[in-house]
Amino acid sequence: MLNKKFTIISAEGLHLRTAGILANELCKYDCDSEILYKGDMINAKSLLNIMAACIKCGDEIELQCNGIDEKEAIEKAEKLIASDFNVD
Amino acid sequence: MRISSLLNEDGILLKSKPKSKEEVINTLVECHFRLGNLNDKDSFRKAVLEREASTSTGIGGGMAIPHAMTEAVKRPAITAMTVEDGVDFKSLDGKPVNLIFMIAMPNDGKQHMNLLSHLATLMMDKSLFSSLTAVETPAEFIDFIDKLEDKLFPDEASENPEPLEENKGYKILAVTACPMGISHTYMAAEALEKTAKEMHYSIKVETNGSAGAANVLTDEEIEKAEVIIIAADKNVDMERFNGKRVFITSVTDGLRKPKETIKAALSNKELYKYKGDTSGSEYISKPSIPMHETIAHKCYKHLMSGVSYMLPFAIGGGILHALSYFLDMIMLGNSALDFGVFGTGTQVSAFLNTLGEYAFQCMIPIFSGYIAMSIADRPGLAIGAVGGLMANIGMTFTNPQGGVSSGFIGALLAGFFAGIFMWFLERLCSHIPKSIAGIKSVLIYPVAGMIVIGFVMGAINPFASLLNEYLMYDLNMLDGNARIMLGAVLGGMMALDMGGPLSKAAYLYGTISLTMGKYDVMAAVMAGGMTPPLGIALATTFFKSKFSDAERKSGAVNYVLGLCFITEGAIPYAAADPLAILPSCFLGSVLAGNVSMSLGCTLQVPHGGIFVIPFMGNPSGYLFAILSGSLATMLIIAVLKRREPIKKHSLDTGIFD
Repeated sequence: MLNKKFTIISAEGLHLRTAGILANELCKYDCDSEILYKGDMINAKSLLNIMAACIKCGDEIELQCNGIDEKEAIEKAEKLIASDFNVD
Repeated sequence: MRISSLLNEDGILLKSKPKSKEEVINTLVECHFRLGNLNDKDSFRKAVLEREASTSTGIGGGMAIPHAMTEAVKRPAITAMTVEDGVDFKSLDGKPVNLIFMIAMPNDGKQHMNLLSHLATLMMDKSLFSSLTAVETPAEFIDFIDKLEDKLFPDEASENPEPLEENKGYKILAVTACPMGISHTYMAAEALEKTAKEMHYSIKVETNGSAGAANVLTDEEIEKAEVIIIAADKNVDMERFNGKRVFITSVTDGLRKPKETIKAALSNKELYKYKGDTSGSEYISKPSIPMHETIAHKCYKHLMSGVSYMLPFAIGGGILHALSYFLDMIMLGNSALDFGVFGTGTQVSAFLNTLGEYAFQCMIPIFSGYIAMSIADRPGLAIGAVGGLMANIGMTFTNPQGGVSSGFIGALLAGFFAGIFMWFLERLCSHIPKSIAGIKSVLIYPVAGMIVIGFVMGAINPFASLLNEYLMYDLNMLDGNARIMLGAVLGGMMALDMGGPLSKAAYLYGTISLTMGKYDVMAAVMAGGMTPPLGIALATTFFKSKFSDAERKSGAVNYVLGLCFITEGAIPYAAADPLAILPSCFLGSVLAGNVSMSLGCTLQVPHGGIFVIPFMGNPSGYLFAILSGSLATMLIIAVLKRREPIKKHSLDTGIFD
């Protein structure tokens, strides 16, 4: 199990577009991915779940990945968040 | 923000068959436009398409949420579509889409976010997709979402829907207006506000009471509102609502059936058209909803308009008269009872008495004038007033200097004749070219109007005075048992509809009789009006178990209301349990009127309840009459009313809070 804290810098927060990209990318990995936000655990592989959490710009989240490729998943997430979800 | 309140039945398209994503978007944009949600259709569509180009809003699972936040949007709203066979939306999961929500938001970043996440929460519910794609009607669609929101966001139910933040707009605007303007106006306003809050619609209500208009609707609010509700028994300034969806009904319906009124208003599609200075209100097409204005209700409104302007004259004149008698009693003692000089024995009292007389004289032309104005706007006032004056003097062709007054009946007829004639004249004159249109109000209306009303009144005055004689004098000349019956009947009428047409008619009759020196009628009328609230207050005190908590709390208030002659305090109880309350109030008031008349009680002023004891003849007898009536009411309620309130949901109007 690997945990890492991130601060969301995207202006719209984890909104439709950004949440969609994050969820999409995390789905490509086998490990379970969850976001701990304000005390709640959110399924990070579901766009709707992330959107429903209403995570805004400047908010801190903790991404928890558990599985074989947890390291790669966390790294990918870090890249996406830091680059404001500019997908290559 | 409540998703279900942003949906509109006309904006939900079920079992559609669009052939492409583009068609879906175009159709839903068109929907928003038709509902009046957009400032600029093309600009909005462009924004939605741009958003789609960035990342598809087909979020998978067969659902899509195209949206745009732009100045092109007037007010937040959602349209929806279900597609049985699915349509390609370039979704994130590659699958076709069967349920689409299109969200339109004005330029306000924060709300946008909350709304989408709110919607996302709803969409996470496993039953949403299968249920919504299966519904048969738009009403079911909205209902499902409404219930789901209640389940997922229970705290929201108690939230007061705020006006749309910076937009300062409301979904529903309303105006309440009652001729008396003392309580019905405000009770109806409160009922509408509470009910709208429960239905999660934002609302603002303007009240047109006796003290003038409060909480006046601004032009901006009117522009942004979806529908307007007019719950009025007298005419209201309508020009500002030109082009809006307006639903007109009575104050009573706004008060007793707020939920049906709001629903009917939201389903009404007709646009109201104000016909400038040629008349009051006109509809483009005939209204088809049952609660809309009937001719009878319109006539009632015109009459009540006249009454509401006339009342201050009657009240002022009546009190002045009474004061003059009072003064005489004090200054001259028993010798003042020489009826020849009663009220004019001293200089001061004579002055007051004459002043009161003049107020009464003024009252008649004002009455007829304002009835005419209600029907035909400004041009009607002068004509109606002159007609009323003629009626008062009793001017006929054979007696131009006047003769037998045709009083109120004559004035009433004059008012309606004048109003209707001027209404037609205005229509006729609308063909006059605009350049010389000024000649209408300066020359044509006054001259033609006065000549015509002169002839009409000259002709009908004799007949009107006969009718007036009968109604006012002969009926009032009844003696003995017949008179007691009259008192009983009038008392009962006050209780039967508690502020509605019957009680208004009885009250009017009492007031008119008062101006003609018959004071016992007024006493019986007021006794009948004070009894229902007092009887109910007594019942809630001594028969607690029959009432709910809320009813018991308001019961104490009814003591005050009853003593102030505000019959309307009994209405919520009557609404909640008519079978027990109405008969008991009726019988109690009949008794009160009966006893008042038999004991010879009199009252020289038209209102005031317990505070006008000095103006009562035989005050102890009068109090006895009211007490016996109230006790009777209380006892009958005790007998008829079952242990628990029968219809709990009718207390939903929240009047008890």
